[in-house]
Amino acid sequence: MKILQNKKRVFWEALLLTLIIFILGMLIGAGFERGKLDEVEQFYTKSEILFMDIFALNERINSDDTCEVLIDSNMQLADNIYEEAFVLEKYEDAGKITEGLKLAHRKYDMLRTYLWINTIDISNKCKGEFNTVVYLYEYDTEDLAVKATQTVWSRVLFNLKQEKGNDIVLIPLAVDSNLVSLDVLLKDFEISRYPVVIIDEKYVVKEVTSVDDLINYLD
Amino acid sequence: MDLITIVFLVYTFIALYFFFLFLLIYLQNKENFFYYPKAKKQYSLSIVVPCYNEEEDIGGTIESLLNVGYKGLKKIIVVDDCSTDNSFKIMQEYARRYSKVMAVQTPKNTGNAAGAKNYGAKFVKTELIGFTDADSYPDKGSVNKMVGFFNDLQVGAVTSTVLVKNRNKFIEKLQSIEYKVIKFSRKLLEFIDSIYVTPGPLAVYRRKAFDSVGRFDEENLTEDIEIVWNLQMHNWKIKMCVPSRVYSVAPSKIKVWLSQRNRWNMGGLQTIFKYRKHALRGKGMLGTFILPFFVLSWLLGLFGISILVYRLLRELIVHYLSTRYSIGAQTAILTLREINLTPHVLVFLGITLFLFGLLFTLIALSNVKEKQYKRIGPLTLGFYLIFYLLAYPIILIISLTKFLKRKRTW
Repeated sequence: MKILQNKKRVFWEALLLTLIIFILGMLIGAGFERGKLDEVEQFYTKSEILFMDIFALNERINSDDTCEVLIDSNMQLADNIYEEAFVLEKYEDAGKITEGLKLAHRKYDMLRTYLWINTIDISNKCKGEFNTVVYLYEYDTEDLAVKATQTVWSRVLFNLKQEKGNDIVLIPLAVDSNLVSLDVLLKDFEISRYPVVIIDEKYVVKEVTSVDDLINYLD
Repeated sequence: MDLITIVFLVYTFIALYFFFLFLLIYLQNKENFFYYPKAKKQYSLSIVVPCYNEEEDIGGTIESLLNVGYKGLKKIIVVDDCSTDNSFKIMQEYARRYSKVMAVQTPKNTGNAAGAKNYGAKFVKTELIGFTDADSYPDKGSVNKMVGFFNDLQVGAVTSTVLVKNRNKFIEKLQSIEYKVIKFSRKLLEFIDSIYVTPGPLAVYRRKAFDSVGRFDEENLTEDIEIVWNLQMHNWKIKMCVPSRVYSVAPSKIKVWLSQRNRWNMGGLQTIFKYRKHALRGKGMLGTFILPFFVLSWLLGLFGISILVYRLLRELIVHYLSTRYSIGAQTAILTLREINLTPHVLVFLGITLFLFGLLFTLIALSNVKEKQYKRIGPLTLGFYLIFYLLAYPIILIISLTKFLKRKRTW
């Protein structure tokens, strides 16, 4: 009878099998997340092309007609990036084992910073009928009150965008993305804590508030 | 990778490891799963039945033992631990009618099963000594199948398949699944010399081994675990006879069930503490596998539930605060946009583990054929796998709290 054969070997066999299955699972998981990242990268590339196009146009402003095209294109880009942010957010939540989606978030933050700078530029050069609403939040916060406030701010701003449509350029930006350009841009506002909403570079709204109250800040 | 993901992956790895370990043991020993050796001689046996307030079942248990069909059974010693009901009268009645039955009473209530068992053991003169709980019903032929294992002089104890007798209420049905899974796992552990308990419903010991380890520890709440660790420490082999069945009455009320689980857990803790010095020492499986396995189960259970509670609390606080702020900002407290149904790798791993758990449970269930009972329905099985098993770590916390407060009552 061989009942008690290979007693110790079975522990090693199980370990080997576990390692194989576990590593296989991790590789499949990483592949799955890579697929999501590729999707986000495609969105990003499209937005980047659109932005470069607008940026080039911004350099060549010489008439009201060009201004109109510029404002419309800028608005379209801002809306695209805003919509893509929702997709990115969902994918980021689902990205557990690779860091690629977090890097994509930083790239988007850089693009959004550019967008803000460009929008300031446009509003200086053209007399457009639009408002700029920049939502500054913390990406990596562990503070539960801040997390809750940010959740509510997102809802309020989403509703504001729904209500005002093309009248506002809405730019959400993570302040802890380590972007020098953003840090310099924010210096003038002397903000000590986040989240905040900056409207037309004039008003800094620190407390979460209703859509109606926010509309009062808009010209 | 965040901390929660790392924790989840570590748990997944450990769960996968034990799944594959058990699966491989099963596949490598499948042919010997129901094996039991034929006894080379007729070993003399006495069976001790500890009893405390079991007037409803004690008669049935004695009847089962009388009809167990083992010719070497010399005495059935029924020990009344100063019951306050009619248990002792019933025993005495059986003792009058059957010469094999001996009814004794402890001088005073010992307060635990170990005390009554040890008291009964004093009257045993046979080569083997068996124990049956007063609410358990060994099948005819069950003992005959067990005794052959004692042909090997190193075998100190033989345990059996314990199944649930009462299966009407939902909680009883859940326990009937659990008992089958436990029985299946215990047999698998036998193949790596790692049986850690000889449950009370039916176990037979070599009296020499039983006496040599000082009988049951009366301080321990799970004397049937403690004695096995003691036997393992003294290099006695423990065997399990799968075809030998005993049907036991399982708790029908949550409160009783909870109290039973607390006793098991606290007894387990007492045993861990008693044998802690043997961890990762010696050649036997007690220090190298059983003890670390027990400690790991405790640590994983407690840490897992702590992480779960911490996460839930955080979510609750964020939800509460965001609801409050939402009301202030006159906005919706939840929007469809926020519902994220994007699957991620941890969900896939969780599903994989669940399916492995289901597979393991199904293999365990398929190893017990019972014509007299209805098959387990998918709803009961699903509830068992999702909710019943989830209750384990919660009970661990209750048990640990009681243990630390030294509320060790039987």
